[in-house]
Amino acid sequence: MLYREAGDFKTTYVADMQTFPIRGERILFWLFVAFCFAVVPFFITGYWEKSILVPFLVWSMIALGLNILTGYCGQVSLGTGGFMAVGAFACYKLTTAFPELNIVLVIILSGAVTAGVGMLFGLPSLRIKGFYLAVATLAAQFFLVWCFNKFGWFYNYSASGQISMPTRTLFGVAVTGPDAPPWATYLVSLTFVFVFAWVARNLTRGRLGRSWMAMRDMDIAAQIMGISPFNAKLSAFAISSFYVGMGGAMFFAIYLGAAEVTEAFGIDKSFDALFMIIIGGLGSILGSFLGAAFIVVFPVFLKNVMVGGLGWSTDLAAHVEIMTVGALIIFFLIVEPHGLAQIWRLTKEKLRLWPFPY
Amino acid sequence: MNRAVDPRELKVHRDDGVAKGDVLLEVKDVSLRFGGVKAITKISFDVRKGEIRAIIGPNGAGKTSMLNVINGFYTPQEGTITFRGVERRAMRTTDAARQGIARTFQNIALFKGMTTLDNIMTGRITLQKSNLFAQAVWRGPALREELEHRHRVEEIIDFLEIQHIRKVPVGRLPYGLQKRVELGRALAAEPALLLLDEPMAGMNLEEKEDMSRFILDVNSQFGTTIALIEHDMGVVMDISDRVVVLDYGRKIGDGSPEEVSKNQDVIDAYLGVPHE
Repeated sequence: MLYREAGDFKTTYVADMQTFPIRGERILFWLFVAFCFAVVPFFITGYWEKSILVPFLVWSMIALGLNILTGYCGQVSLGTGGFMAVGAFACYKLTTAFPELNIVLVIILSGAVTAGVGMLFGLPSLRIKGFYLAVATLAAQFFLVWCFNKFGWFYNYSASGQISMPTRTLFGVAVTGPDAPPWATYLVSLTFVFVFAWVARNLTRGRLGRSWMAMRDMDIAAQIMGISPFNAKLSAFAISSFYVGMGGAMFFAIYLGAAEVTEAFGIDKSFDALFMIIIGGLGSILGSFLGAAFIVVFPVFLKNVMVGGLGWSTDLAAHVEIMTVGALIIFFLIVEPHGLAQIWRLTKEKLRLWPFPY
Repeated sequence: MNRAVDPRELKVHRDDGVAKGDVLLEVKDVSLRFGGVKAITKISFDVRKGEIRAIIGPNGAGKTSMLNVINGFYTPQEGTITFRGVERRAMRTTDAARQGIARTFQNIALFKGMTTLDNIMTGRITLQKSNLFAQAVWRGPALREELEHRHRVEEIIDFLEIQHIRKVPVGRLPYGLQKRVELGRALAAEPALLLLDEPMAGMNLEEKEDMSRFILDVNSQFGTTIALIEHDMGVVMDISDRVVVLDYGRKIGDGSPEEVSKNQDVIDAYLGVPHE
């Protein structure tokens, strides 16, 4: 009953361009947002924070970033792990060099630093495409991780080679470090993701988003329409890296607390991010969230069911979990190659007419 | 014919400082080679403002190469191109677009994952100015600009009678409609010169008639100068003001449709010459 467009007429272009064109959907969305901001913080426990919600939010941010580059602009990247490391190390260096600097600003600046590095490694995209570009970005992954391992300056010459996040406060409440209460880290992550998902939505529906998608769908026609490949591709690399860098900074500062570069930002992270956007849906903001949920939250859920619910041993559960996730990835890719977001879109199209499809 | 918008109220055309009937584009002694293959040899012709200029010729005559030279996609080895009084040889395609040259393609080159509306909006990209931060918040200048351009695009959508497919991804549309959307995308750029590469290829009679009507309307109502490549001689003879005929990369005829159809070289090129 809620999902009806009958009687919901659009009389202005602004109304026609809304993200949620159907009133029922809009109401549900804002109720959900209100629930996330106003209800969840009162009930959140350390387990929910550390294992589910914060990693989900941080990965959503990273998936959003990669989706801008790969989903919207069509440039495949396997350098996500490396760019996350840039964000994390920028955050570490900034916050240790300027302890007074507000943590929100530090995270945003880390994103900006990563944007610069991303543009540099995006330069090959002007010459090469597809798999070849993927290999070129793979070089970024290995080079950046090597670089952060090799030069002590990046980890302040600590004996272990690790970086660890000192406690930083926001409005007098610790949001990083071991003493940060779960609700605070959750709210900071949620606010970041909410604001920047909105920004991503705005960027992708305007001029910039159209120039990215045009470059993705037909690059020669895009050039003939007057879209410069230099601007379109490098802006996609910059903005994508900005998101991934902020995600990396949050991953390190809020979620992990301490990190060792090869361990935390290896090639597996690049693949995780790529799987997220492929399963979630390329070129879809919602898809980034669905993909992150599938890769981050679903395994935790499975484990709880198998170990907690069925009483299986943990190692058996771990293997079954890997098998299940793998099988589901294949299943989803066969059933709907355009990802979970497309399944959701098709469901909505059916719902519009349900239960009277004629 | 009922139309939501009177085309005369539309200004899908930019003021280019060239008076009607004067030379808008002049191609002079242009030669283009790919290695040893001579695609175009010493071709000269001009396009006058406000006319429909057809480029015809058998397959492989160099017609599409000629269009690619005009909009900067290929750089000719010899010769010059003068557009709106500015002479050039090498240029980037994006610059050609900014100077007001728009085109459609023989094999449709739409952005398949985007909706009809977004495709046509893409045509206005060179006219949009708002910066990154304005776009990020989607309020104030960026939104105002978007609405302004949306308004113009809606007028084009009305003109081409494609309102019903506004929000459909173009990959799902039938061929004839895709051709029409592509014309819309080129029109959205408010071109001074519109290049159409086989706008009627693969269409049935009704679709051809529709497309001819759109081309004539664009020309007469907006005053847009059009250069088109077409194989359907009936259409070419009916709608074009002047025709240039190419064969094996050389110009063999130039003039009004009547003159060209009487030209012995043209008849030979199309019908073949008996070899003894």
